[in-house]
Amino acid sequence: MLTAKKISKSYTQKRRKILDSLEITIDEGEFVAVMGESGSGKSTLLAVLAGILSPDEGEVLFEGEDLYSLSDEKLADVHRNKIGYVPQSNFFLKNYTILENIVEAFLSSKEKTEEELTEKAKSYLTDLGISDLADRFPHELSGGELKRAAIVRALLSSPVLLIADEPTTGLDSNTGNIILSYLSGYAKSGNSVLVATHDDHVKEYADWIVDIRKDLE
Amino acid sequence: MNLQRRKSILKDIRRHGFFNACLLATIVLLSVMLLSGTVVSTSLRKGMKNMQQRLGADIMLVPKGSKEKAENMLLEGSRSTFYFDDSVYEKVESINGISQVTSQCFLKSLSADCCSSEVEIVFFDPETDFVVAPWIETEYKSGLSGDAVIVGSDISSEDGTIKLFGQDYPVVSKMARTGTALDSSVYFSSEAKDGLLKNAEEKGSFLTEDQKKSGVLSSIFINVKEGHAVDDVIEDAHKSIGDIFDVVYPKKLHASLAGSLVKITGVVNVISISLGAFLVAILLIINSIIMRSRKHEVALLRVLGHTKKRLVGKLVTEMGLICLAGSFSGCTLGALVVIPFGRYIGMSLNMPYLGPGFYGTVLTVALIISSVFLIVFLASIFFIIHTTNIEPYLALRREE
Repeated sequence: MLTAKKISKSYTQKRRKILDSLEITIDEGEFVAVMGESGSGKSTLLAVLAGILSPDEGEVLFEGEDLYSLSDEKLADVHRNKIGYVPQSNFFLKNYTILENIVEAFLSSKEKTEEELTEKAKSYLTDLGISDLADRFPHELSGGELKRAAIVRALLSSPVLLIADEPTTGLDSNTGNIILSYLSGYAKSGNSVLVATHDDHVKEYADWIVDIRKDLE
Repeated sequence: MNLQRRKSILKDIRRHGFFNACLLATIVLLSVMLLSGTVVSTSLRKGMKNMQQRLGADIMLVPKGSKEKAENMLLEGSRSTFYFDDSVYEKVESINGISQVTSQCFLKSLSADCCSSEVEIVFFDPETDFVVAPWIETEYKSGLSGDAVIVGSDISSEDGTIKLFGQDYPVVSKMARTGTALDSSVYFSSEAKDGLLKNAEEKGSFLTEDQKKSGVLSSIFINVKEGHAVDDVIEDAHKSIGDIFDVVYPKKLHASLAGSLVKITGVVNVISISLGAFLVAILLIINSIIMRSRKHEVALLRVLGHTKKRLVGKLVTEMGLICLAGSFSGCTLGALVVIPFGRYIGMSLNMPYLGPGFYGTVLTVALIISSVFLIVFLASIFFIIHTTNIEPYLALRREE
């Protein structure tokens, strides 16, 4: 499904290469965890694989096409329908309820009606145990609740590949397990899941683990 | 644009309420400034051009001590009465070097049934006139018989008559707009003077002894023959009628005013450009702050599948709606301040001021709204394109 070939990336202010000739392949139905210390390049790797940070060298083939060779329209189409991304920070629009935050980005597309999107969002919120928070505002939710809402937002387009950056960081182990268990189930249903985490619990759910220091550097 | 998209854009405008309110206020100020500056400078220029076109006389003789009043009357159309004996006219007429001469007599302002404000009554000689004729907008063919009148542009005469001292007078023509008090003047033939005065007295209207006299004039307008010196004509007039008059030079007055106009419009332009530049700088700062505050949101929307083009369209539309509201409000506010008080602006600057009519106002407002759109677009497009071009991950990470 997704193959990264000889990916290299460095930030101008740091000079050293964060990613150096990295190669990785993720198949359908796999739950892959990327582990490593802070600053090791986990988030950068996920961003490059998600198509939201262009590498200095190499290519990222998604369903046979290099994400970074696609036109803006085609890349947007991939993000809208095939790759879901959960950023590390919980960004939500302040004056919108959680449900509005989840649905809002997809409203202007003609692909689904507001009713369809709302129904689907409520179903995911129920699955992740936060259906009662749909009408609350972001500042009323805890970090774990916001993280789950961010996952629902990424899932709303039913992506075949879900990429989540630190989905359990800063959460209690119970909430972390709820999230990891859900993501594992999502992978088992035929989709792929890629997470970056410090959380050792992920080992219980992941099909395989990339230790970014050992395996990639 | 579908309904959901429209709702989403309006929600976004509300969400960034504070900064958008600042943006709106700046656009309102910019529009007020542009509209007022344009209307004032255009009206002054138009007033001056109008005056230049219509001030046909080389010199105007008025009774001694009335020079200032006469100049004010020419510039602002302010109402004044001053008289000398009409025997003066015959003497002036016979002076060598005069190509055209005509006289006018001004009667005090009177309340009339036609108008909310007082009207000025002017008697003139249609046979010799070359001063009123250039102002006449609608030609009249039947001549100005005894009781017929020509009215200023502000005087309404829907049924073709005007009622003065309880009597209806037929209106045969209307004057072009001057932007001065002359717009509410009524012009009678000199022949009608005795009848009108009699009628006024019968109705109990107060008239001074000078006004009651039939053989008086207020001013004599003279055009000098080509090849003759104006000063020679004035000298001959002194010899002929004595030192009983002052001389007003309408064309010199215009030249001096034109110099003042250059200075005034220069000041207006400098103030407008400085204030405009300041407001554009504020616009740039506000746009920069708005887009910086929306960097994360834009990045997230790209992650969720919005194209750059669509995001640029959304942000430009939001900016356009704010701009439309701001420029429209600003123009309305500016028009409410500048247009009704146009005459006072002209008077305070001591300049002829001919404000825009309805179509002129609509055209000016359309021009200002378009200009403000262009300014706001240019002041925001760089920030919008820059923000939508940042790689989503970098924008998201900077917010962390």
